[in-house]
Amino acid sequence: MTFPFFVFLLSFASGLTLDKMLETITLQQFGTFAHLSAFLYGLSVGAFGLMGREYLERRYGRNNYLVAMPFLLPISFRTTFLGIYLRDAVFYVILMLVPATLGILAASPIMGFSVISISLFFVAVLLTFMLGMSLSFLASVIYIRNIKAFVVFTLAIVVVFVSHGVFGSPSLEMIMPSIGFQMNVRPFHTDATQALAFVGASLAELLGMTALAYGLVQVTVRISSQSYPNLLPGYYARMPVLKGVNLALISKELVDLRRSGIIAKMFFSFVLPLLFLSFTAWFVNYGLAIPVGFNAVFYAAMVGFIAILMYSWLNNVDLSDYYSVLPVTVPQLIKVRIIVFLLLTSGISLFFVIAISVLNGETNLLWLAILVMFVTSIYMVVMTAYLTGLKTNSFLFDTGVLAKFSVMSFLPDLCLTILSFSLLANWVLAVAGLALVLGILIITTTILFRGIEQKWASASF
Amino acid sequence: MSVLEARDITKEFGIMKALDRVSLTVEKGDFFGIFGPNGAGKTTLIRILTGQLDPTSGSYRVLGVDGVKEPLKVKELIGIVPEVESPPSYLTGYEYLYFVGKVRKLDNLEDRIDKWLTFFDLETKKGIICKDMSKGMRQKLMLASAFIHEPELLFLDEPFINLDPIYQRTLRDYLEGYIAKGGTVFMASHILEISERLCSKLAIVNLGKVVAQGPINELVKKGDNLERLFLRSVGINPRGD
Repeated sequence: MTFPFFVFLLSFASGLTLDKMLETITLQQFGTFAHLSAFLYGLSVGAFGLMGREYLERRYGRNNYLVAMPFLLPISFRTTFLGIYLRDAVFYVILMLVPATLGILAASPIMGFSVISISLFFVAVLLTFMLGMSLSFLASVIYIRNIKAFVVFTLAIVVVFVSHGVFGSPSLEMIMPSIGFQMNVRPFHTDATQALAFVGASLAELLGMTALAYGLVQVTVRISSQSYPNLLPGYYARMPVLKGVNLALISKELVDLRRSGIIAKMFFSFVLPLLFLSFTAWFVNYGLAIPVGFNAVFYAAMVGFIAILMYSWLNNVDLSDYYSVLPVTVPQLIKVRIIVFLLLTSGISLFFVIAISVLNGETNLLWLAILVMFVTSIYMVVMTAYLTGLKTNSFLFDTGVLAKFSVMSFLPDLCLTILSFSLLANWVLAVAGLALVLGILIITTTILFRGIEQKWASASF
Repeated sequence: MSVLEARDITKEFGIMKALDRVSLTVEKGDFFGIFGPNGAGKTTLIRILTGQLDPTSGSYRVLGVDGVKEPLKVKELIGIVPEVESPPSYLTGYEYLYFVGKVRKLDNLEDRIDKWLTFFDLETKKGIICKDMSKGMRQKLMLASAFIHEPELLFLDEPFINLDPIYQRTLRDYLEGYIAKGGTVFMASHILEISERLCSKLAIVNLGKVVAQGPINELVKKGDNLERLFLRSVGINPRGD
């Protein structure tokens, strides 16, 4: 219950400050942005259907119990699949959408929002979320059936969105009819006929994709006898700067990443938010014509915060039970994963920061951006590792941990954002402020890194 | 000479007391069997004595090392086969033994790996990753990883599980030879027939407490067997055979 409560509080706070936000953007723009966020949320949730298979396969080889259950019980695989889809939909709606809506509702007596408007907003956003989720489930099913078809399918979706962005056609209402529904009910222009038509189109779209996924889903029970070449000794020998047990641990992590196939998914889960961030900034600056002043230093800070997703992935590649019987400690493995995180993300982060600097014509800020990127990346991973150890996903659902994580990431994020925006106005003061924030982050990182040993010494794997 | 001494080991998980003041001593050269019904606390005890879990109270020494203070040192000295065979999913059999060897800083690693892959008939399967192995293959690999550094003391939790009769016998013969050469084994098992042949001493645990303990030839008299002792110790009247 802690995470939904946290979402409720955040939404309540947003509700209380909505009138301030609406001094800068229109209600329509705000609504569109909320729907796009819900769509992406649905997309990411649906992708977990694909990820979930990985977790179950770890212990039981290629046969996982979700696939095996229809072989043992009088239930078809398609029914199981549909059950999982509906369960996930209900779960994530209750986890996020319901508390978010309740937060705005709680703010409505104070702010004077219409309860009917908020309720209609919830229905519209729910439709958008389900659209994203059904699209993602369909993509997952196509991926399992045929990788080439998946690539074609994904490209087609991208073309649709790019076409909208560049040519304005198809309209967002055509792509996501739930937005059309939103724009034809309170508090926008009220047209019941149009609204109902868009609801019908929305339902047709998401039910159509769900039905297609249901029809295409295929049972794949594979018994693999594939033989792999031994990679571990080669990786071990290739890192002479490291020694001893840590070298063995890092080499093993790299083999895991390569063989699990998770590296591609990690890559997308890091790169896609970066691209989304870039798109959002471009959209706000040029699409909505709100000159916010996003610059290379801002992006560099964001890269540091977004990269933390990769640490969570590293803790989900495989279970860690076997470490219990070896002379390895939890703090040791945590530190190894921090090193692996930096090995994996530094290149992508650096490339992104350089690319953004060049594209924005801000190469004069590159040195500062690189510094900000490295310091925030290292700070974020060490802070997350300190707070959550090897079980990032579990611990982030703990109220106390989530609260600390939020404060310890939000505060520096806010400071760096404000200071990055101030670079144009007062370069000297902004750089001095950045130096101070980065200094504090470096000191905090050092303290937290040293604290990992004590905090996690008696934890079990 | 004692290789393992446990004094008043208690372990609580919330309101549940998994172990209640368990004390036992294992001498060098013992084949010590620990038995009990499901949920009695055998695996919890093994996990504590092998440094995987902290006791709520009590103390233990393994090969002279205080396990509460230095659990890592304990793990360096012993070999452990856990109850659930769970080697890393994405390493091959060869790679897992290589990994264990490097973590334990072993010399002649290639020779050791070859020896144990051959012993467990895994050398033709050394390129298969662990998640594609059968349960039996994974169990053999976990056994190999516990034996590879030739420890003085082995902790085995259900070592015969998932092994076919051929390898149950092979493992039994190996453990007998290991004891004859001065090794010590602490084993939990539900397979009483094999255990009765191997064990020199035993303890029976029920509801977290030791209900019987001592040399097997004193506890299991002529005409009796380990199964009947077990059933009587946990309060079940064995039927006459």
